[in-house]
Amino acid sequence: MTRDQRARSIGVHLVLIAYSLLAVGPILLVVMNSFKVRSAIFGSPLTPPDASTFSLIGYEKVFRSSHILLYYSNSLIVTLVSMALVLLFGAMAAWALTEYRFRGSTALALFLSIGIMVPIRLGSVAILNMMRSAGLNDTLTALVLVYVAQGLPMSIFILSEFIQQIPKDLRDAARCDGVPETRIFFEVVAPLLRPAIATVAVFTIVPIWNDLWFPLILTSSDSTHTVTLGVQQFLGQYITDWNSVLAALSMAILPVVVIYVILSRQLIAGLTSGAVK
Amino acid sequence: MANLSIEHLNKRYGATTVLNDVNLSIEDGEFVVLVGPSGCGKSTLLRMIAGLDGASGGDIHIAGKLVNTLAPAERGIAMVFQSYALYPHMNVRKNMTFGLKFTGVPPTERERRVTEAARMLRLEELLERYPRDLSGGQRQRVAIGRAIVREPEVFLFDEPLSNLDAALRVSTRVEIANLHRLLKSTIVYVTHDQVEAMTLADRIVVMNKGCIEQVGKPLDLYYEPANLFVAGFIGSPAMNFFEAEVEGIEGGRARVTGAAFRTLDISAASLKVGDRLTVGVRPEHLVRGEAGAFTAEGIVELVERLGEASFAYLRRVDGKMFVAEVRGRQTPAPGETVTLVAASPDVHVFDASGLRVATETR
Amino acid sequence: MAEPVSHVTAQMPRAKLAGLLLFFLGPAVVIYTLFSIYPLVATMALSTYTSDTSGARSFVGLANFQTLLGDALWSKPFWNALGNNLIFFVVHMCVQNPVGIALAGLLSLPGVRLKGFYRTVMFLPTMLSVVIVGFSWNLILSPLWGVASGALKAVGLGSLFAPWLGLESSALVTLSLISVWQFVGIPMMLIYAALLNIPEELIDAARVDGLGQFRIFFHIKLPLVLPTISLVSVLTFVANFNAFDLIYSVKGALAGPNFATDILGTFFYRTFFGNQLQLGNPTMGAAVATVMFFIILLGLCLYLFLVQRRIRRYAF
Repeated sequence: MTRDQRARSIGVHLVLIAYSLLAVGPILLVVMNSFKVRSAIFGSPLTPPDASTFSLIGYEKVFRSSHILLYYSNSLIVTLVSMALVLLFGAMAAWALTEYRFRGSTALALFLSIGIMVPIRLGSVAILNMMRSAGLNDTLTALVLVYVAQGLPMSIFILSEFIQQIPKDLRDAARCDGVPETRIFFEVVAPLLRPAIATVAVFTIVPIWNDLWFPLILTSSDSTHTVTLGVQQFLGQYITDWNSVLAALSMAILPVVVIYVILSRQLIAGLTSGAVK
Repeated sequence: MANLSIEHLNKRYGATTVLNDVNLSIEDGEFVVLVGPSGCGKSTLLRMIAGLDGASGGDIHIAGKLVNTLAPAERGIAMVFQSYALYPHMNVRKNMTFGLKFTGVPPTERERRVTEAARMLRLEELLERYPRDLSGGQRQRVAIGRAIVREPEVFLFDEPLSNLDAALRVSTRVEIANLHRLLKSTIVYVTHDQVEAMTLADRIVVMNKGCIEQVGKPLDLYYEPANLFVAGFIGSPAMNFFEAEVEGIEGGRARVTGAAFRTLDISAASLKVGDRLTVGVRPEHLVRGEAGAFTAEGIVELVERLGEASFAYLRRVDGKMFVAEVRGRQTPAPGETVTLVAASPDVHVFDASGLRVATETR
Repeated sequence: MAEPVSHVTAQMPRAKLAGLLLFFLGPAVVIYTLFSIYPLVATMALSTYTSDTSGARSFVGLANFQTLLGDALWSKPFWNALGNNLIFFVVHMCVQNPVGIALAGLLSLPGVRLKGFYRTVMFLPTMLSVVIVGFSWNLILSPLWGVASGALKAVGLGSLFAPWLGLESSALVTLSLISVWQFVGIPMMLIYAALLNIPEELIDAARVDGLGQFRIFFHIKLPLVLPTISLVSVLTFVANFNAFDLIYSVKGALAGPNFATDILGTFFYRTFFGNQLQLGNPTMGAAVATVMFFIILLGLCLYLFLVQRRIRRYAF
């Protein structure tokens, strides 16, 4: 390496490190201060908690005055059920659209792709009316139905690309073997879609887990709140209690960060796989 | 009895004709190879026999049964794909039995067939492995095994050796030939490799642009190609062609002249004066000499040495090139003028439309 | 040579094909149509009705839109929200995309180590909920906590500090920048992926031709990832004109101070659900949603017919 190159390489790393700090700094700051006593939060916000400043008082308050665990389980149920249905129905639809030629198949594919670009939120007025008249108002089912409808277009789009990459010979071989069409999908094609799951998950799990809008308009009681909405309401109520606020924020952040760090390799591979071009 | 018969088969995609009035009859136990340049329709023909592609017209009978409207699984065929098409998430045993589940073969019978096929293909050790853990040759054998357990009327092979390296290709070729001897089954085999075709086939079907050019035993195609296409396709390096014309007819014998060879005397009843012909001679049939039934001269431009033989590329008088095989250590030097001759059975004559002219040269 | 769709399925009996299609497509199409397309259409239909105090609805044609655009009581906040939304979008385009491109460019330089680490860290904010991000920044920028002012003081710029989120003049831009901070990971990732797709030989060829990394980036890489950049722009457009969570969680439904941060999403929410100042009005809410739909549609059409057509996609 020449001196010029080394200088440039150091420069590049300085920029990247600076931006990385900017990206995680605020998150670290919040999480770090959530473990401190109030005086330390204000006195020395930039230092990590030590023996004298460490405190879990914020967390105690959050557990005492909100149903945070219930919110977690609601979010988990809604996200996982929605994702499972998006994957299953999305893969089935993607298979039919790529494998079978029928009149109107192009029109149907176009119809299904409207939802990729047009946000389903704009139909909220009618969604709320429908849910009310169906008696689904303030239920997790309502959220799941909306999220499945929201997630399907993108997942069909991504899964179609994956299905097209499965060698045609494989389906032909199965047909020569006399495998029925439904079993070709479930026993030959579906198992091969496993790498696609991470990609589809990025596009379904994250927006669902983080969504504020639909919980806000579709759920009204505490028992159906998701983490995002529950924490949001908690923050509004306890805005002056910095310990609780920071703890609540941290509790919303940490699970996402942990899952993200575990899965980041797959998530990023999915994002950069070129499935979204 | 014909095991597979194809009558007036046509295939069109929009305006393009992929297969044009194909007729073929294959006997029980016969090993037939479809060969031709890429895009000639051989793979399409195979897929149509399998029922994977539809026909635009014509009939296909397998074991006496009209199968036009039957699904692939109902046709009594088994296919070995170029990419092997092994189910990547099933082990070898499951790959072989998966299809049988759906065609009503009882479990004990499935097991018997797998054991039998595994023994025949030396796959016993590999039955619990997954395709990703197998070498190319092993995958190939599994693909064949999956076809065998179906006990089909007809085996269909789609360029099965083209994904293997050169050495493996030769040994697998021998294996397939042995298998055919053992199973005595009917095989239709597609390849673009004429060596595979020559070595494996009972009969070769040469295809070009959606038509069958010639059907025949390997050596018949080599020694008596029906037309210019087959003459040029079979044999490597390809046959040399010389433009020629009938100069005169005397007593049933035609005197044929051309710019690049000495006047040739052939017996052919159908010719008349002024007919344009093509004279063909294979490089391996040209030897150095003074005068023969066929004689041509050329200036050596390049010599390719392969070891067992060398190929001399010669410039003819009319400026075009031709090739001659030279045996032995003594090869002509570039720049040297060489006279080459061929014996009369090795001289092929084709008329203006490219068809073989039945001749007796002297 | 082979048909795009297998012959086997092409010549299936009609009843069997219909059964398969029903089985495979049925669930997805039903849920999608019922909970995505139908509500959109129903909302548009609802926007042509009005309801009186008893809740009875009557058809009024385009009257709601006339009110929205013509009645000062409605049109003032509407144009305010639309204007703010445009500023919100412009800040994203001018900051988020260039920063994303620059970061992707740096990450794609040959021989940069720890790429995976940087990527993971820089993408982290994108994974978090907008609510959490908004509130965290709210705290950080708060004069009460003093983290931001302290940080500025440390570099000698203490006098620059102001309660940005609280000032009418700076609240919207500050919120826009918070959103940029969160979502810069998306353009970075997509453009990075596009940069990776450029064959290495092409870059080598440019190096042999004597171009430096800087020129290679501007003259070779950038033109080749232009389609991705325009895609990112349209994604940003749709997301921005549909944004709500950030403003709502930091500033509440009233989008203060004095509606300085009101965008279409919050305007829609207020109109639909009401707030301290007014009662909820579903039909007017539907009208606002319909206008938002057409704004997004307009953006998409501009992209499809003007931008995408002119941009050449290169095959490698």
